[in-house]
Amino acid sequence: MSGTVLIVDDSLTVRMDLTEAFEAAGFRPIPCVGVAEAREALTRGLVDLVILDVLLPDGDGIEFLKEIRESASTQAAPVIVLSTEAEVKDRIRGLQRGADEYVGKPYDSGYLVAKAREFLRARRSSAAGSKTVLVIDDSATLRDELTKALEPAGYIVLTAASGEEGLQVAADQRPDAVVVDGILPGIDGATVIRRVRLDAALRGIPCLLLTASEDKGSELRALDAGADAFVRKEEGAAVILARLAAVLRGAASTKPAEDTASLLGPKKILAVDDSMTYLQELADALRGEGYDVILAHSGEEAIELLAVQSVDCILLDLLMPGLGGQETCRRIKATQIVRDVPLIMLTAMEDRKAMIQGLGAGADDYISKSSEFEVLKARLRAQIRRKQFEDENRRVREELLLKEMEASEARAARELAETRTALVVELERKNKELEAFSYSVSHDLRAPLRSIDGFSQILLKDCANMLDAKGMHHLQRVRAAAQRMGELIDDLLQLSRVGREDLSRGHVNLSGIARIVATELGRNEPERAVEFDIPDELVVDADSRLMKVALENLLGNAWKFTSKIASAKIAFGAEQRDAGTVYFVRDNGAGFDMEYADKLFSPFQRLHRDADFPGTGIGLATVYRIFDRHGGRVWAEGAVGKGATFYFTISSARLGGLHDS
Amino acid sequence: MIRSHLILLVEDNPDDAELTLRAFKESKTLSAIVVATDGEQALDYLFATGSYANRDPKITPDVVLLDLKLPKVDGLGVLQRMRANSRTRRLPVVVLTSSNEETDILRSYDLGANSFVQKPVDFAQFLIAARQLGLYWLGLNEPPPVTRRI
Repeated sequence: MSGTVLIVDDSLTVRMDLTEAFEAAGFRPIPCVGVAEAREALTRGLVDLVILDVLLPDGDGIEFLKEIRESASTQAAPVIVLSTEAEVKDRIRGLQRGADEYVGKPYDSGYLVAKAREFLRARRSSAAGSKTVLVIDDSATLRDELTKALEPAGYIVLTAASGEEGLQVAADQRPDAVVVDGILPGIDGATVIRRVRLDAALRGIPCLLLTASEDKGSELRALDAGADAFVRKEEGAAVILARLAAVLRGAASTKPAEDTASLLGPKKILAVDDSMTYLQELADALRGEGYDVILAHSGEEAIELLAVQSVDCILLDLLMPGLGGQETCRRIKATQIVRDVPLIMLTAMEDRKAMIQGLGAGADDYISKSSEFEVLKARLRAQIRRKQFEDENRRVREELLLKEMEASEARAARELAETRTALVVELERKNKELEAFSYSVSHDLRAPLRSIDGFSQILLKDCANMLDAKGMHHLQRVRAAAQRMGELIDDLLQLSRVGREDLSRGHVNLSGIARIVATELGRNEPERAVEFDIPDELVVDADSRLMKVALENLLGNAWKFTSKIASAKIAFGAEQRDAGTVYFVRDNGAGFDMEYADKLFSPFQRLHRDADFPGTGIGLATVYRIFDRHGGRVWAEGAVGKGATFYFTISSARLGGLHDS
Repeated sequence: MIRSHLILLVEDNPDDAELTLRAFKESKTLSAIVVATDGEQALDYLFATGSYANRDPKITPDVVLLDLKLPKVDGLGVLQRMRANSRTRRLPVVVLTSSNEETDILRSYDLGANSFVQKPVDFAQFLIAARQLGLYWLGLNEPPPVTRRI
């Protein structure tokens, strides 16, 4: 494996040592004394990896790291910070500024070379194609800002304004990473991440949580929910970008094949103890074994560090001021992303009770400080190996489980599809049956009626001299009943047709239709004088045939119920209301009692005696169905003896009913 | 010169057949009406086959009044066979049926019907319809030349 490695360190010893080590490993090292020289080297050519000291003669390494992360040509390069600064806060600062690794001095050059190899391999495996990042934030400004920062860096950016929307997008688009705001209007960021982790298909997606507060509690909760990292919003887009690149690299480096090999790879140990002397002693012993050791002086520091740095094993002193070993252990074991890291409790006390307490808090092993370091190292190796086997086992189990889940999902999908097909077939069969029934009604039910009416009339004509007035009257009643039944059949057929036929929408001139209907009504009863008021050009987007049926019914009703009024008036028109245009048909006829207004539109409901106003009671049910299918509605207002007004609305085609084709 | 007209009425319902005959009689249309009670009989008559094998096939009706719902071969089947045969291809066909289903109307015209009339339930209306059909198809309408004869 080859690659260009920029080594920035003011110590000649370090530069020589690392140059030699990297050269021997097949890399092309470029040693630099300080920031100016490194900057100069970066302008000359592309660099694959940077080893960076913090305290440099001409500047701060972490500030230079920021520069590296903000430049398009270097922002993707892994950076290993190499520092004498043993303070945990320095380490956190470096990692948050976008360092991929923070190695303390004295270092082990073998460890550095191994880490560099791991990073470059991870980068190569993840470099195929650009990464898709989903940004979930309710602030449009922040979404824009992040999009503007991410897109030039080669990311494809998806955005969502809420957690719910974000989860939907994640399920649909399967992004490579998710950046989510902690505080959201609906479900919060931690919940979003938890749901991502619960979803078999999404759980591997790295998640970055944005927090606004300095509240460490919220950050820990987010990590507990499964976030891979968090960034405070005020740190800005560049830092977010750097952390995002790091989690993506992290995600790529935990691919199964590479994990399997990593038993022999560099291991990072976090040692937590309030005694500086013991820590240094421990660190020296472990570094000699090729481990990278991070030192923390308290439980609080350890927890803060674990939020940004993953480690392979934790050595934790039981007796410490502040949080204390037992409580620190309990908290670590309660946090999802670090709970599986082997934790070995250290104590000076040869105390059985203390040991039980430590193990009770979740420690994986327990060692007395007075033991030889050789014993500690052996225990450490054992724990790391155990973790390794567990990981492998878990991976095998997960793979099996995943396959099982996929199989059962496929089975469920197939069953669903089969059920749906069966339902569609059943529905089509029912529809065919209904159509056959309607056809039969239309054809077969009419024929006998024609016979009843026809032969009654022939009887009246041919045998008039044999029938008395009473006989004639009875025959007339027979004829009237046959005709009424004919009307009922026609109306029922129309009601059924209005419900099942496809809508074909277009521009419909309601005024024109109203005029035609008014003319037809006048032609049928030329003796009536009715004043029609119909305005010009009321145009809607609707099915013209159904509009004709609706207006025939509404205007026909108005015509019928004004039959006993001397100066009948029927008005058709439109009003503009807040909700949109409302059309109406108004008459000054018999009216109705508002108490029964809700009954008007049910089939066979009549508010008048047939002797007063004949009818089948189906017309308004048909009208109701027509406007319902147009996504509108119809309602009526009136009073007995004071006329009636029928209102209706029609919504545009886009919002129309489900039946629309 | 008074022309004698011939109508073929294809109707399976004896009541409807009788009412139709009565309606044409009352409308004073001078015509002979042949009634076929199913589609097969109608085709036998038109093509002088089966029970009508001895009939002179040159004598064709002026108009066919065709019901749609018929036993054996239905109305649309009859229409299709008529339009496929050179002798009856241009013969005027009026579909006279109880149905006013859109699909029936469309398919009738698609298969070459010349007119579609729904039989009214009201006999008074039916009389008017019969008179108008007689006036139009036997009087006003000019039939295709091959069907013309004294």
